[in-house]
Amino acid sequence: MRRLNVGTAVAGGLIGGSIAWFLAHQFLATDNPSGSNQVTILTMVGWAIGFMIGIGAFHGPWCWLMGRDQSHEDEKFLAGDGQGIGRYFRFTTDHKVVGIQYLVVTMVLLGVGGILAMMIRTDLIRPDSGFLSPQVYNSVVGLHGLTMIIATIIMVTGPFGNFIVPIMIGARDMAFPRLNALSLWLIVAFVPVLFSAAVLGGIPTGWSGYAPLSDQAPPGMDAYLTAIVIFAISSAIAGANITTTILTMRARGMTWNRTPIFVWGTLASVGLAIPAFPMFMGSMVLLGVDRTVGGQFYVASGGGSPWLYANLFWLMGHPEVYVIVIPAVAALMELTPVFARKPLFNYTAAVLSIVGIVGLSIMVWAHHMYASGWAPDLNGPFMLTTELISIPTGIIFLVVLGTIWRGRIWTTLPMMSTYAMLWNFIIGGVTGIYLSDVPADYDLHGSMFVTAHFHYTLMGAGLTGAIGALTYWFPKMTGRMLDRRAGFASFWLVQIGFNVTFLSMFAAGLAGQPRRVEHYDSLFGVANLVSSLGAYVIGLGMLILLYAVVSSWRRGPLAPANPWGSKTLEWTVPNPIPLENFEVLPVVIADPYGYGEGDLRVPVPRAPAPAEAVAGAATGADGATTPTGAVMTRTDAPPIPEQERP
Amino acid sequence: MQVRRTVVGLAVTIGAGAAVLSVAAFALSAKGPNATPLTAKITGTAETAQGTVPHAWLDLATYPDSLAGEHGASGGAHPDWVSYGPSTNLHVPAHALVTVTIRQYDSGGAVTNPYFAKAHGTVDGTVSIDGKTETQAAPDAMGHTFTIHAAPTNQDPLFVSVPLPAVADDAKTAPNSDYPAPHVVVFSFLTNGPGEYVWNCEYPCGDGYYAKFGGPMSTRGYMSGSLTVG
Amino acid sequence: MTAPTFGARARAWSRRAEVRGVFLIWVVLTALLCLFSFVPARLMGAPASPTKQAVETTMTLFTLAASPVAAFVWAIAIYSLVRWRHRGKQAPTEDGPAIRTNTPASALWVVVSSVLCLFLLVWGFVEVQAVATSASASDAMVVDVTGQQWVWTFSYPQEGNLESDQLYLPVNRPVIFHVTSKDVIHSFWVVQMGIKVDANPGETTQTSVTPDRLGRFDIRCAELCGLLHADMETSVHVVSPTDFRSWLRSNGGPG
Repeated sequence: MRRLNVGTAVAGGLIGGSIAWFLAHQFLATDNPSGSNQVTILTMVGWAIGFMIGIGAFHGPWCWLMGRDQSHEDEKFLAGDGQGIGRYFRFTTDHKVVGIQYLVVTMVLLGVGGILAMMIRTDLIRPDSGFLSPQVYNSVVGLHGLTMIIATIIMVTGPFGNFIVPIMIGARDMAFPRLNALSLWLIVAFVPVLFSAAVLGGIPTGWSGYAPLSDQAPPGMDAYLTAIVIFAISSAIAGANITTTILTMRARGMTWNRTPIFVWGTLASVGLAIPAFPMFMGSMVLLGVDRTVGGQFYVASGGGSPWLYANLFWLMGHPEVYVIVIPAVAALMELTPVFARKPLFNYTAAVLSIVGIVGLSIMVWAHHMYASGWAPDLNGPFMLTTELISIPTGIIFLVVLGTIWRGRIWTTLPMMSTYAMLWNFIIGGVTGIYLSDVPADYDLHGSMFVTAHFHYTLMGAGLTGAIGALTYWFPKMTGRMLDRRAGFASFWLVQIGFNVTFLSMFAAGLAGQPRRVEHYDSLFGVANLVSSLGAYVIGLGMLILLYAVVSSWRRGPLAPANPWGSKTLEWTVPNPIPLENFEVLPVVIADPYGYGEGDLRVPVPRAPAPAEAVAGAATGADGATTPTGAVMTRTDAPPIPEQERP
Repeated sequence: MQVRRTVVGLAVTIGAGAAVLSVAAFALSAKGPNATPLTAKITGTAETAQGTVPHAWLDLATYPDSLAGEHGASGGAHPDWVSYGPSTNLHVPAHALVTVTIRQYDSGGAVTNPYFAKAHGTVDGTVSIDGKTETQAAPDAMGHTFTIHAAPTNQDPLFVSVPLPAVADDAKTAPNSDYPAPHVVVFSFLTNGPGEYVWNCEYPCGDGYYAKFGGPMSTRGYMSGSLTVG
Repeated sequence: MTAPTFGARARAWSRRAEVRGVFLIWVVLTALLCLFSFVPARLMGAPASPTKQAVETTMTLFTLAASPVAAFVWAIAIYSLVRWRHRGKQAPTEDGPAIRTNTPASALWVVVSSVLCLFLLVWGFVEVQAVATSASASDAMVVDVTGQQWVWTFSYPQEGNLESDQLYLPVNRPVIFHVTSKDVIHSFWVVQMGIKVDANPGETTQTSVTPDRLGRFDIRCAELCGLLHADMETSVHVVSPTDFRSWLRSNGGPG
C-alpha cells in the first residue's frame, strides 16, 4: 500500500487494459463493427479497474474483506501525514490534498479544452479555411464540449467543495475520506479513456452524443460512453460524500440559517448531480448495448426511439448547467460581502433562490427539444417552467446588488469577478429568455446564437465565478498570495476577449449560422473573424492566469491566515493548515456575515460543549489580529475585544 | 530581479502555450490519405449551352475493398472498406464541360431514396450506363452513387448525382483482374465559377454500421471527397 | 410625533445622492439599450415569412423589456464602483452599513420580475397559438421533406410526387412540411422563414409557413449529423404561382 502511487496506477491500468484486450480478442469475433466496439469497451473497463487497483483504491475494502482492518498507522499514512509532495500523487484521503488534486485536474482539463477551442476558432477564422478536415473538426468540437463540461462540473465543487467546505463548516475532514480519494482518482482514470476517442476514429456527434448518430459512430464512441460511465460513478460518489458531510458534520451551532451561502451552493450542486448523472450513465449503458450486441434502444426501425436518448440526455443536461453555475455564483455571493464589507443582502432570499432554481431545473429539460418534434403539445408547459426560472435567478442579482449597495467596495481580483458576473450573466440570462420562447427557439435553435448563449452562462458566470473563487481562496489553499498584477492583466484579457468572442458569435447566429459546422457561408465571415481573434485574446489571458497561479504558488509572498478579513471559519485556521484542520472544533454562534455589526461581537450565552477554541480574533501569520471573531466563541472565552484592523 | 523574473516567467508560459498549440495544430490539421489530388485532363473544347468551353476528362472507379484505391495495395487501415479510386480529392476546371467515367466493380441492393437512382444535373439529365443512354438505373440494384452537392459558401450551386448500378452478387472475377467486369458509367456536367464542393455516395454501403452510413461512408478518403472547381 | 407621510419619505429618498446617481445612469443605459433593441432584428435580415417577422418582433420586444432590467443592474454596478470604491491596497478600515435586508426593495424586485415573467409567458402562449392556427389552413400545399446523410430531397404529393433537390414554393400560399429522415437526426431549418423542425428516422414531424417574399433563401441542417453536416444545405426558391406551375411542368409535373 505504501508504495502505490500514480505510477503504479498507470502500470496497473496498462496491464488491466492489455489483459482485457487479449481476452476479448481470444473469445470475441472482432471482424465486424460490433466486435471492435466490444473490444474497445472491455479494454477501457480493464484499464479503469487496473488503474484503480494500481492506485490502491481497493486496499481498504480488501483488508476488510480479509477480516483485518487497516491499522491507525495505515490510516495516518493514507491521510498523507508527514509526507511531502508525494502525497499529491497517492490515494490520499486528506480532503485538502484531494482539493488540490481536483484543482490541478480541473486546470489540466480546462487547458486541453482550451487548446481544442483554439483549434475550432482557427478553423472558423475564414469561411472555408480547410484547416481541419470535417471528420477531425467534428471530433474536436465534441471533445472540446465534453472536456469543458466535465471541467466546469468539477471546477468549483471539486477544488473548493473538497478543500474549503469541510473547514468552512468546522469539520476535520469529509464524511467518507476514502470515497473522496476514490472520486478523484476515478476522474484521473477517466481522462485517458476520454481522449483515446481521438485515436479511435473520433466522435462525430458532438458532446451531446445524439443517437442514432452515436449508433453509427466509430469506436471513439465506445471510449466516450465508457468515459461517461466512469465519470458518472465518480460524481455519484463525490455527491454522496459532500452531501453527507454538509448534512451531518457542520459545527455545533451552525444551524441552516448560519450556514455560509457557498455551502448551500455546493450542497445544491452536488445534490442536483445525484439524480441527474445516473440518467446520462443509463443512456450510455443503453448505447453500449446498442453498439455491442444490437440492442436497438435508439434505432427506430428496431422499435427504439432517438427521442428516448434525447430525453435521458437532457434530463441530465439541464440540471447539469445548474450543477455548474450554482456553486460558482454561490462562491461569488460568499465573497462579495467580504469585499463590500457588508452582510450578505437578504440571506433567506439567497437560499430560497438556490432552492427554487434546483427545484425548477429538473422540470425544464425539454426546452432543448422544442424543435425536435417530440410532444409539441408540451412545448407550452416547458416554456412556462423555463421562464419561471428567471424569477429565482433574478433574486441572485438582487442579493449581489443589495450586498454591493453602499458597501466599501474593495476591488480585489475576487471582487472583480463578481462585477464581471453581473455583466456576463445578465447577457446570458436575457438571451436565455429569447431561447425559452417557443417560436423564437424554432428559429434560433441549433444556431451559433445558442452556442454564444450557453458560453455566456457557463463561462461568463460559471468559469468567472470559479476564477473568483480561486483568487479568493488561493491564499488559504496554497499559503501564498496570488500575483495581483498578473491576475489583473489576465482578468481584463479574458473578460474583454470573452465578450468580443461571444458577442460576435451572437451576431453570426442571428444571421443564420448553424452550430458545429466546419465551414460556412461567407456572409458570416466578419463575425467569425472577430470571434476567432477574441478567442486568441482569451487564450493569452488564460496563459497569464496560469503563470500567475504557478509562479505565486512556488514563491509568492506568504499569506496571513486571514488576508481578506473574512468571517467564515476557514480563515480561522493557520497556514499551513494542520491535518484535521481544527485542534478543537469550533462552536458557531452567528452567521458569517456580521460586517458592520459591532454588537454581534458580544458573545451570546455560552455554548454547552467544553470546546477549547481557536476562536476569537485569530492571529494571522503576519502577527496582525484579524477580525474573525463574530462567528464563534468558546465556552470560557472572555468577551472578544473591539475589532482591530491591520 | 523581480521584474526580470516576471518577464521571463510570462514569456516562458506564453511561449510554452504557443508551442503546445502549434503541436496540436500540426497534429490535427494533417490532411489524411487523400492529399494527392486527381486533376481532370483537358483535351479540346466542347459545344455546350454555355458556348464553346474546354472539355475535361476524369476517370474514377468504385471498388468493393480498399486494395486498389488511394490507400495503396495494402489497403491501409481498413482494407475491407469499400472505396473510390484512384483519389477522392478531385480537381476540375471552371466554366468547362467535365466528362466523368466511373468503373463500378461493387455489388449492391436497393437504394433507400429512389431519387438517387436517377441522374440529376448532368447534360441532358442523362447518364451512359455500359454504352446505353439512360435517365435512371434500377433502384433495387444500385451499387453506389456519385453525388456532388453545394458547400455553404457563396459560390455557384452545383448539384450532380448519377446512379452506379450494382454488379451481380454471383458475378465471376474477370480474367487478369481481382474484380468482376465493371459497369462503365459515363456522364458530363458543366461547371460554373470556381468553388469548393463535396461529393459522396448516397447508396448506403457502410455494411455493419447503423443505416449503413458509418465506416467508409463517414470517413474521408473512402466514399466521399472534395471537388475543387477552378 | 407622527410618522412622515409616504410622500414626504419618497421625496427624502429621491433626494439622496446615490438614488439620483443610479437613476441617472439607469436612464442613460436604458436609452442606449432601447436603441440597441432594434439591432438583433436587423442582424436577422429581412424576413421572408410572417413567422420570421413575428420572431423578429419578439426579439425586439424582449430586448426592449430587458433593457431597463439590465440597465438597472449595470447602473448599480457602475455607481458602486465610482462612488463607494475603496482605494488603496490595504483592506478598508471600516465596514459598510450592516444592512441585512430591505423588505420593500426585495418585495418590489420579486413583484417586478414576476410581472415581466408573466408578460413573457402571455406573449409566448399567444404566439404559440398563432403558429398552431396557421398550420391548419385548408388551401395549404404539402411538401414531404426527406433528410439523409448529407442531402435534402423534397417531394410534392399533391403534384404527382414530383421530386427535387431544391425547394420551389409559390408565394403567399401556406405550406405544410412533413419532415422525416432516412438515417440519423437532421434538422430542417429554412433560415429566412424562421421555421425549424427535426427530421427523425422513423417519425414524421410537421411544420408550416407562408412564404411572402420572392427570392432564393437558405435551407440548412441544424443538427450535427456526421461527416458532411456543414455541407447539408440547399436553396428554397419562392416564385410567383405562374412560375411555380411552369417549374412543375418543366420537371415532369402535372402543371
